Amino acid sequence: MSGGPPKGLPSTGPHSLLDMPHPLAGSSSEEAVGGDSTPSPDLLMARSFGDKDLILPNGGTPAGTSSPASSSSLLNRLQLDDDIDGETRDLFVTVDDPKKHVCTMETYITYRITTKSTRVEFDLPEYSVRRRYQDFDWLRNKLEESQPTHLIPPLPEKFVVKGVVDRFSEEFVETRRKALDKFLKRITDHPVLSFNEHFNVFLTAKDLNAYKRQGMALLSRVGESVKHVTGGYKLRSRPLEFAAIGDYLDTFALKLGTIDRIAQRIIKEEIEYLVELREYGPVYSTWSALEGELAEPLEGVSACIGNCSTALEELTDDMTEDFLPVLREYILYSDSMKSVLKKRDQVQAEYEAKLEAVALRKEDRPKVPADVEKCQDRMECFNADLKADMERWQSNKRQDFRQLLMGMADKNIQYYEKCLMAWESIIPLLQEKPEAK
Amino acid sequence: MEQAPPDLERQWQPAPLEPLGHTDAGLQAAVGEEAEGSRDEVPGDGTEHALGLGVLMTENNFGLKKIEISVSEAEKRTGRNAMNMQETYTAYLIETRSVEHTDGQSVLTDSLWRRYSEFELLRNYLLVYYPHIVVPPLPEKRAEFVWHKLSADNMDPDFVERRRIGLENFLLRVASHPILCRDKIFYLFLTQEGNWKETVNETGFQLKADSRLKALNATFRVKNPDKRFTELKHYSDELQSVISHLLRVRARVADRLYGVYKVHGNYGRVFSEWSAIEKEMGDGLQSAGHHMDVYASSIDDILEDEEHYADQLKEYLFYAEALRAVCRKHELMQYDLEMAAQDLASKKQQCEELATGTVRTFSLKGMTTKLFGQETPEQREARIKVLEEQINEGEQQLKSKNLEGREFVKNAWADIERFKEQKNHDLKEALISYAVMQISMCKKGIQVWTNAKECFSKM
Repeated sequence: MSGGPPKGLPSTGPHSLLDMPHPLAGSSSEEAVGGDSTPSPDLLMARSFGDKDLILPNGGTPAGTSSPASSSSLLNRLQLDDDIDGETRDLFVTVDDPKKHVCTMETYITYRITTKSTRVEFDLPEYSVRRRYQDFDWLRNKLEESQPTHLIPPLPEKFVVKGVVDRFSEEFVETRRKALDKFLKRITDHPVLSFNEHFNVFLTAKDLNAYKRQGMALLSRVGESVKHVTGGYKLRSRPLEFAAIGDYLDTFALKLGTIDRIAQRIIKEEIEYLVELREYGPVYSTWSALEGELAEPLEGVSACIGNCSTALEELTDDMTEDFLPVLREYILYSDSMKSVLKKRDQVQAEYEAKLEAVALRKEDRPKVPADVEKCQDRMECFNADLKADMERWQSNKRQDFRQLLMGMADKNIQYYEKCLMAWESIIPLLQEKPEAK
Repeated sequence: MEQAPPDLERQWQPAPLEPLGHTDAGLQAAVGEEAEGSRDEVPGDGTEHALGLGVLMTENNFGLKKIEISVSEAEKRTGRNAMNMQETYTAYLIETRSVEHTDGQSVLTDSLWRRYSEFELLRNYLLVYYPHIVVPPLPEKRAEFVWHKLSADNMDPDFVERRRIGLENFLLRVASHPILCRDKIFYLFLTQEGNWKETVNETGFQLKADSRLKALNATFRVKNPDKRFTELKHYSDELQSVISHLLRVRARVADRLYGVYKVHGNYGRVFSEWSAIEKEMGDGLQSAGHHMDVYASSIDDILEDEEHYADQLKEYLFYAEALRAVCRKHELMQYDLEMAAQDLASKKQQCEELATGTVRTFSLKGMTTKLFGQETPEQREARIKVLEEQINEGEQQLKSKNLEGREFVKNAWADIERFKEQKNHDLKEALISYAVMQISMCKKGIQVWTNAKECFSKM
């Protein structure tokens, strides 16, 4: 088991810094590199999780890359139950089975994380561990620290206002579970992040807390170099493509925020409509009690309105549980992406500053010193990683929103179909002739 | 045109043997002829209702002829009122057409303008002269049960339009009523523009009207009203209460539904703005946004249609009042009868006492006799004679009152049965049309969201 730096692979920045393989990881991190500096076309067209309609262009093996890790990671996008090319997917992660734990100090929920993998980094083919939200939070922080050049997926919101939201209600827990599942799947699909040792430990360790404590010691060694990257340099100008990404993210987050507000407002109006409907229906019942021949028709109308009310309630519940959280997730995502962009700026700034300093020192002119070269390296790797991740993110975003908005349309269609059925079914009742006198 | 004064006998005419013009199935708001101008933009004006026909006395007062009535236009007018102050009001054009049996073609026979107050006058007249009939109600005087987008202003064109339809409906109800259609004043209302008000007032119907106080008194003191009328009164109270409640909540429901649809319009704009920064997703977003705009604007027509349903309910809300009026009349007559019987009984007793010399009842004469001495036998005879005359008169009156009362009950109940059939039919039709409206709304919703989903799928 090597403890030295990985050799002969296109560097991806921090990989060279983090040369400490984790005790639990099977083999060294040499094979763990899946991310190319230049994204292959297949990366862009690869399937995203959840979408079963796109066809992979060439059955899945990207041309030009022989490393098994990268080809498998590309196809990791496929869902657990989507078995197109089972053999090329080698890591499956699922979050399910929430359970409530009541202890003296606190009450909390844990989720079962099931991992199935044929990767050598995993000792066993299958793992099942329980984790709570703060474990996920820890994982995300670790990933941000150890992979600062990559876009880390967002977690669902940490804090919930007590009293307003019941954090132990079925709906809340289910919404959170889905978001946590999405989080892990996004990491699983990432060619670099999925090989991260913290991720591996998260999925496999029996006692995560012990590892967490140990990790604090590691941090002090790694921290230096990480801190080194984020020195206080001022960037003169962002290169065009990154400026464009920055602008895009700004507008994107803005528009999502507006959509979130609109969706919330719609739900609010629908709930108020529901309140009135629940008073409206029963009045027909009251009237029905006064009448003879009209009693059945009026009662029928009352029941019909009741059914529509139920359908409306289902719609508002669905939108609250499935639509709003995903929107919010993407807003968080774009926020974290903007800070990664800023970090990239820092790296570039540092390089440019060093370069300038060298240019002023006449004696070193023909040869560029090693540390400046290192800086340049760092910057170029960062840029490459970021560009690759951005493209992957754009593609995933497109699929996610396609699915989200189609889902919204679907829910509304189902609502109207339920109401239609209710009203159509009482027409014959209303048209019934009384027995001839 | 003869001006036969409407006399009391006419109200006792039994209903004609053959159904006049059409059955209760036709007793609905009719569109009548399509007229130019204000009619064309009316949405949901009940075109699904059968073309209502009425009947009217022919000019020579023999038989009945088929007619079509329509309130085809409404016009704002200014004039001077009774106190010579300038006022603005709306006048309505009433057109009457006679329908030829052979080819179904109609010929315009009369056309005149009337304002709302004249309709009220007509109805008040009918209430007095046909107290045993459930007299059709007028559309509301002021807009009530409005949801926020509707105006409560009487001059508002939408209100005027709905009132026009309501007035037409009123005239058709009267014209298709087996008894009311024969009324001369009603005939003149449709045919004689000038001087009609004077003619109505000359009947002196206002004097014949029962005072409110008298009616109230009777309601409290009557001892033996017909049970059916008591039940009916109870029913009409409940009906009024439940329909009011229904209309109030429906207005709130309409308000909320409006809000839901309109907020979706915001999606249109934001999708458009978002599509500007997207490459592949742009087109799908943009076109989906357009569908959201369509969705948001579709609610206006939907709710306008629903107003028609509300108007149908309102008619029966006001009908409840007409039902109560008939019950009140019965109570009044019954009370009158009871008082007359009581009075007769007391007089008989007085007479008996005088004849036998016993004084069981208190009377002023008895008192004065005691104070001032016995009266002479001649005086006593005279008094007995007077009383006997009064008793005779009283018995005659009681007999005729009894007869009147029974006739009233019989005829009123016949009309109430007719009304019940009409009500059941009309309200069923109203519920069906409401269900149809809802179905249409659901189908539109499915269409729009399916289109939007299609656009999203192309993102």
